[in-house]
Amino acid sequence: MSEIEFEIDGKLVFANQGDSIISIADREGIDVPRFCYHKKLSVAANCRMCLVDVEGVPKAQPACSTPVANGMKIHTRNDKAKSAQKAVMEFLLINHPLDCPICDQGGECELQDVAMEYGTDVSKFNLGKRIVADKGIGALIQTDMTRCIHCTRCVRFGAEVAGIVEMGGTGRGEGVKIEPFLTEGIQSELSGNMIDVCPVGALTSKPFRYEARTWQMNAVETIARHDLVGSNIYTQTYRGRVKRVVARDNELVNETWISDRDRFSYEGLNHESRALHPKIKKNNKWQETSWEIALDFAISGLKKNAQNADQLGVLASKNSTLEEYYLMQKLARGFGSENIDYRLDKANLSIGNTMLSNITLAEMESTDHALIVNSYLRLEQPMINHRIRKATLNGASVNTINNKKFDFNYQTDLEILSSPQKTLLMLQSILKSLHERTKTTVPKYLSKITVDDSQNKIADDLIAAERPVIILGEHVNSNISSSDIASIISEIAALANAKIANLSLNGNSLSAEKVGFKPSNNGKNAISMFTENTKAFLLMDVDFNYDFIDPKLAADTFNNDDVFVISLNSFEDEITLMNSDVILPLAGFYESSGTHINFDGVAQSFSASVKGPGDSKPGWKIIKVLADILELKGFEYTDSTQVADDALSMSSANNNDLVENNIKETDDSKVAVHWQYSPYAIDGITRKAKALQETPIGKMNDAFISLATAKELKLSEGDLYHGVPVSINETVAEGCVFVHTYQSRKG
Amino acid sequence: MNEVCFKNLDKKNPASFATYESTGGYKVWRKILNGELTPEDILAELKTSGLRGRGGAGFPTGLKWSFMPRNQEGQKYVVCNSDEGEPGTCHDRDILRYNPHSVIEGMAIAGYVMNATVGYNYIRGEFMEPYYRFEEALKDAYDEGLLGKDIQGSAVSFDLYTHLGAGAYICGEETALLESLEGKKGQPRFKPPFPANVGLYGKPTTINNTETFANVPEILTRGGKWFADLGVENSGGTKCFSVTGNVKNPANFEVPMGTPFSKLLELAGGLKEGRTLKAVIPGGSSTPLLTADTAMNMTMDYDSIANAGSMLGAGSVIIMDDTTCMVKTLTRLAHFYYDESCGQCTPCREGTGWLYRVLQRILDGDGKNEDLDLLVSVGEKISGNTICALGDAAATPVESFIRHFRHEFEYYIKHGRSIVESEHHLIEEEAIV
Repeated sequence: MSEIEFEIDGKLVFANQGDSIISIADREGIDVPRFCYHKKLSVAANCRMCLVDVEGVPKAQPACSTPVANGMKIHTRNDKAKSAQKAVMEFLLINHPLDCPICDQGGECELQDVAMEYGTDVSKFNLGKRIVADKGIGALIQTDMTRCIHCTRCVRFGAEVAGIVEMGGTGRGEGVKIEPFLTEGIQSELSGNMIDVCPVGALTSKPFRYEARTWQMNAVETIARHDLVGSNIYTQTYRGRVKRVVARDNELVNETWISDRDRFSYEGLNHESRALHPKIKKNNKWQETSWEIALDFAISGLKKNAQNADQLGVLASKNSTLEEYYLMQKLARGFGSENIDYRLDKANLSIGNTMLSNITLAEMESTDHALIVNSYLRLEQPMINHRIRKATLNGASVNTINNKKFDFNYQTDLEILSSPQKTLLMLQSILKSLHERTKTTVPKYLSKITVDDSQNKIADDLIAAERPVIILGEHVNSNISSSDIASIISEIAALANAKIANLSLNGNSLSAEKVGFKPSNNGKNAISMFTENTKAFLLMDVDFNYDFIDPKLAADTFNNDDVFVISLNSFEDEITLMNSDVILPLAGFYESSGTHINFDGVAQSFSASVKGPGDSKPGWKIIKVLADILELKGFEYTDSTQVADDALSMSSANNNDLVENNIKETDDSKVAVHWQYSPYAIDGITRKAKALQETPIGKMNDAFISLATAKELKLSEGDLYHGVPVSINETVAEGCVFVHTYQSRKG
Repeated sequence: MNEVCFKNLDKKNPASFATYESTGGYKVWRKILNGELTPEDILAELKTSGLRGRGGAGFPTGLKWSFMPRNQEGQKYVVCNSDEGEPGTCHDRDILRYNPHSVIEGMAIAGYVMNATVGYNYIRGEFMEPYYRFEEALKDAYDEGLLGKDIQGSAVSFDLYTHLGAGAYICGEETALLESLEGKKGQPRFKPPFPANVGLYGKPTTINNTETFANVPEILTRGGKWFADLGVENSGGTKCFSVTGNVKNPANFEVPMGTPFSKLLELAGGLKEGRTLKAVIPGGSSTPLLTADTAMNMTMDYDSIANAGSMLGAGSVIIMDDTTCMVKTLTRLAHFYYDESCGQCTPCREGTGWLYRVLQRILDGDGKNEDLDLLVSVGEKISGNTICALGDAAATPVESFIRHFRHEFEYYIKHGRSIVESEHHLIEEEAIV
């Protein structure tokens, strides 16, 4: 990279070989108008708005596609540059409808902004304007293609970032239309970014349509916490409601993109089943009441039922904030109970189940080989998948070991199907192969394991790679052998010199891990609480239908008359009312300050964007007051940042204590089931976000079974499997049912 | 006349392998296969010949070939642009029909010089007969063992493929042609990078016009100096001109560069009886229009036409006599560019439609006085601001037609009908009286 010296608007600047004029102008704070150029997309040079004058070149040159050269003299605003820019502006406006007053983009429209400087008040164009018919493209994106200026940012986004070519330019000349090739609606899990990249009002947010004008809203910097990434976002609020979510740049976390889940989930906040007022159940009848009465009722019920401290169970969802986890465990431990857990969806709760990741998000994209185990990465962790996709574009290879074949947006090399009960064995074979290949001693417990060609290839690929990563996904959570699987993966990684990305700890799990939100020593865990005499529960944001690995076991306990249940919940659906004795209305996402610890271990704190509706209160405040009423010490907080400081200064619980290998034979005679929620049904707020539910991803509802397994279970195509239609499918491993659905398990 | 590209026209079966070989064809190629010619020899001879690209831009061919990074590792390509779509041209079609082997040999030689082992001839979609003729010739060349891998044990390889376009004018633009050849929508690429560095499938590629390649074997057979001496200074050799429009005998003529325009007009049989020359487009519809006086004083070579205010272009000479209505002619041309714009970049996508519609409005009798200035200003705003030259090509006739024949446009706007029709109408009326 040689230094180049040149002049831009009379200023002497330096750049590297290959830098474009526009990137240097941006760096130097020189404003060059543009529409098609986007720093994260390939250069198209089709809008021609960024034409500048390069001395010695007869024609004005596009700043986006012209590389700088030594001694160049560039003028971005002399007469020649300006007249070229104004000419382009005039052409862009002749067929643009100029319907800014009814356009949702108004106020944040790049065309509007640039036209202020480069347009004229009166148009010389007095012919009829072009009108483009709209094809519907789904529930998330509103199209008004008459406004389109054909910059092709959305087309390039699809091809280059989302990895699914869904939009394209059809037709020629004036008749060019940017439209989807298919009519079923956009499929990508990142589609909402097309709204952000669209410089005009051609693609706007459908749920936001006509909700507010952009200048009426406040933008609040915050964090999305549906997944491990903690994408940086702005919530845009109007009159106390979140009206829209847009991406906020952070190269280390989400670059400039966010998933559709992070973008559209806010709709759930305004759902009609929001819990607005404290409620208590007296004589099996619910009554709304004041906070004072509800809190007293809660504490007296708790004290009565949990006369022995060990009879109190404290559970929280994996999406609570660091502060909530910290205060809840402090309350439980202060009260004398070790029965604390957030791992509601895990089948195996042995302590050694928390293998930690040792790679960062940004490092993921420079990996040269990924082995994905038990994950549909694209849907489950879209932003991490994006990093892996970038790695594949640079030549990385990918192998997968999954219960089912999935539709990745990059080429996979070897896709191995393995049912949950055979996954451990599969990984043991790979480990053995690695031992053989690295000429290390094969441990005794692997002596009887056999190795086949595909396992050898997986081992070879890991060894051959310079920067391999092994990704363990959330499908492992339903696996009874999950802790053994984690420990084998750790050994594989050590032998192959591979990094580990443990994505089975989803949402804000890393915050829960940080403050030790799980039982230590003699405490009861999220399964044993239901089998071992727990009489009072304190629940944070728990959905009784969806959250538990064994919902029937949980329901049996909660329904018991002598079990007292305090629910801190944002929603009061039927099942919450049925299972609880007190409902304390909880402020939801974006309604409370808090902290999310992301995949990189970075604690990202955020303040509340809006106040919770009705009487709802932030979780940390509710817990603090409960603790005060219980007269526990150490809850003298006036601000959530004090809580966060205390939580973050805790020395991490001993997390990496993988248990010694103590492999048990798994029973593979039975059919194993993995119940995977659609990415838009993973937590309360996404499940209640209407538009997300109307997308192809939101509607997924299949119990995939191979023909042989279906025969064994006496099921055929279209039958209901616990409420989900059976789909006979040969892309699923034998001996397993892979349920991919928005529904919770029935019966 | 007809000394290079059309030299076999008067022979029986001019397109056949036998005819081509009997007149010295493939001699150069065989010399190369025998190791008797180096790339440096060939480049030197080409530079001496003064051969310039016949597609329209007139870039010196020897220089262009020397830009290819011939020693760079990896695949390189030679592409022939036979997407002859410029309104008024049809000489490449006849080269493909009557002398296809010269194109094959020229491309093979280019491949050897630039160390490119694969070539493609991209033929215009409508050229079915030339396509089959060329395919036939290609088969003969393969059958004779003149193409393929390690040809005759020489370690020289060259494979040539024919590709039929789908009828888009824009694919005659070299980078749009490459996109189309790759199977994509034909849209020009921005430059830099130039095809010599990043061309077909991202590999170094040289693209020349059919006539350019057809000239190469003869230049190397008879020497660069011989070729240069055929023409005039700065315009070596002969040039094929397609003479069309209001002439008695519209046809293709291969004449030495520097031939007077009046001579060319004579060759085409001159104007019809009783007509006078009104205007000439010398190089295809994308080049500026010239008035009769200017045209009659120029010679057909790069410099003289440039001095006259136009361009040699693709050598498509369109003759207009006094019955030609300039408003109608320009509207037709504007419609062509409006129809053929690929729609990729803003000025051309939006501007060509604007030009056409304003002209059509004048033709419909709804023109306004300010429309002429509007047309010129829209043309100026397209010019120079687009990815490829189609935008400039659309603006050029608008500017030159209005500059030379403004009164005709003003008349049309005022009276709602053409001045030409009115004049002829008057003449007829007088005759009746």
